[in-house]
Amino acid sequence: MDSIALGRYIPGTTLIHRLDPRIKILSMLFLLIAIFIPAGFYGYLVITIVSLLALSLAKLRIGFVFKALRPIMIMMIMLMVINVLVVKTGYVIITFLGFEIYSGAIYQTLYIFIRLVLMIVITTILTATTKPLELTLGIEDLLAPFVRFKVPAHEIAMMISIAIRFIPTLIEETQRIMKAQASRGVDLKEGKFKEKIAAILSLIVPLFVSSFQRAEDLANAMEARGYVPDAKRTRYKQLHVDTKDRIILLFVILILVGLIKIAIFI
Amino acid sequence: MPISFKEVSYTYSPKTPFAYEALKGVNVNFTEGKITAIIGSTGSGKTTLVQHLNALLLPSAGEIEVLDRKIKANIPVKDLKSLRKMVGLVFQFPEYQLFEETILKDVCFGPLNFGIEPQEAIKISKEMLRLVGLDESYDERSPLELSGGQKRKVAIAGILAINPQILVLDEPVAGLDPQSSKAMMKLFVELNRRYNKTILIVTHNMEHVLAYSDDVVVVDQGSVIRHVTKDEFFMDDDILNELKIAPPAIINVKAMLKAKGIELKGHHLDLESLTDAIVKEIW
Repeated sequence: MDSIALGRYIPGTTLIHRLDPRIKILSMLFLLIAIFIPAGFYGYLVITIVSLLALSLAKLRIGFVFKALRPIMIMMIMLMVINVLVVKTGYVIITFLGFEIYSGAIYQTLYIFIRLVLMIVITTILTATTKPLELTLGIEDLLAPFVRFKVPAHEIAMMISIAIRFIPTLIEETQRIMKAQASRGVDLKEGKFKEKIAAILSLIVPLFVSSFQRAEDLANAMEARGYVPDAKRTRYKQLHVDTKDRIILLFVILILVGLIKIAIFI
Repeated sequence: MPISFKEVSYTYSPKTPFAYEALKGVNVNFTEGKITAIIGSTGSGKTTLVQHLNALLLPSAGEIEVLDRKIKANIPVKDLKSLRKMVGLVFQFPEYQLFEETILKDVCFGPLNFGIEPQEAIKISKEMLRLVGLDESYDERSPLELSGGQKRKVAIAGILAINPQILVLDEPVAGLDPQSSKAMMKLFVELNRRYNKTILIVTHNMEHVLAYSDDVVVVDQGSVIRHVTKDEFFMDDDILNELKIAPPAIINVKAMLKAKGIELKGHHLDLESLTDAIVKEIW
């Protein structure tokens, strides 16, 4: 469980850590959009430089980013294989085991690969430098304009923060139940298929029971303290946008506009 | 045969910023065929200690001997199942591990996993359910509709049905009403006396330690700092003070009598002998 890097918060006090979460989410969104602007390899070069700059400003190690990329590697390899085999544009570069590999396929695959890596790197920078609770506060604020279109901004933010809050609790609970069932002779690693199904059931049922119990307890505790979802609430944590936030946002918007220009120019 | 720990250490999440050394070179030799109470403040490592006995946790360093089996650091344990059949471990709040449709099925789950024939498993499970005080009317009910205390009884019956030689109980009666906890503790004593099972109980309840245990093991900050008989433990005011343990009522009464100038001779750890001694003293 300790090896999961994707989506994990790394405490720090760098410039990136101190940015307003709303600005960070917006910047990430703009950069993600920028990735999909067809500005050629120069465009990706620009975004890569920006990402590396953000990484070094946030004092995140490259190794951490690679760790975050690891779970997605298999998906990427699959995508690349399919692309190489399916795309048939450009000229044939080599014939490999009877398959003709086209130059278009290589380009296409490289594009997809770079896009995916950049997307993961950028989102990782966001999640690694923003506390989950700040993230949800930011989401809530950014969704606020849509409240008039009946988007339940506060409820969504509350659900996300509760879900995040209970991830470690659930992991702990799962480990506890696994140990308890192991004491009753459950072996999750060995045994026949039928035994394995029984083993998984012995884990899932108690987990569900206790999760529902926990949810009910939490709901009661919230109600007992007068929680009403659509009531107007004040906040303990106030978010401020200051000069550094404005500069960063302006910078990101400039990059986005620049890339659009390049795309049109090309 | 030994049930012993030699220089056993255990670290949670090693090699991460969250690393925490829960056991630091534990040496202890539990006596077979006795009821040993394991006490210590919260976070002292009691639960970590007992989870080594059936290899749920493997030591980071050191060696454990459980009857004829040896568990060493960094060596995977062969034939885990037979070890876990030998050492039955009842967790703190075991009621959360129930999952079958009926209580009887849930109690049978353990024995069936250990390869007992279905007929035999049902027979022994029914026996154990009666033993913990749940009659036939419960057999076909869902374990999820029971009260907390009844669930606890089902869960304990589920471990007893495995018929382990060593029974490890992590706060088995926490949160039970006084009658149920007394009945439960008496059941453990009976299992010990009649079937000669070795019993290790993690507890915070000094009255239970006084009334039901033979030996006392004190765990503090990841080490076993004392392993004495119950009598030695309660006669030693130093340990009680040092551990900041609220002593059982009888010990308190003796201390109060002493403060009033009435010194009793000998050990008096149950009500009868204490009253006799008081009577003798004042007469």
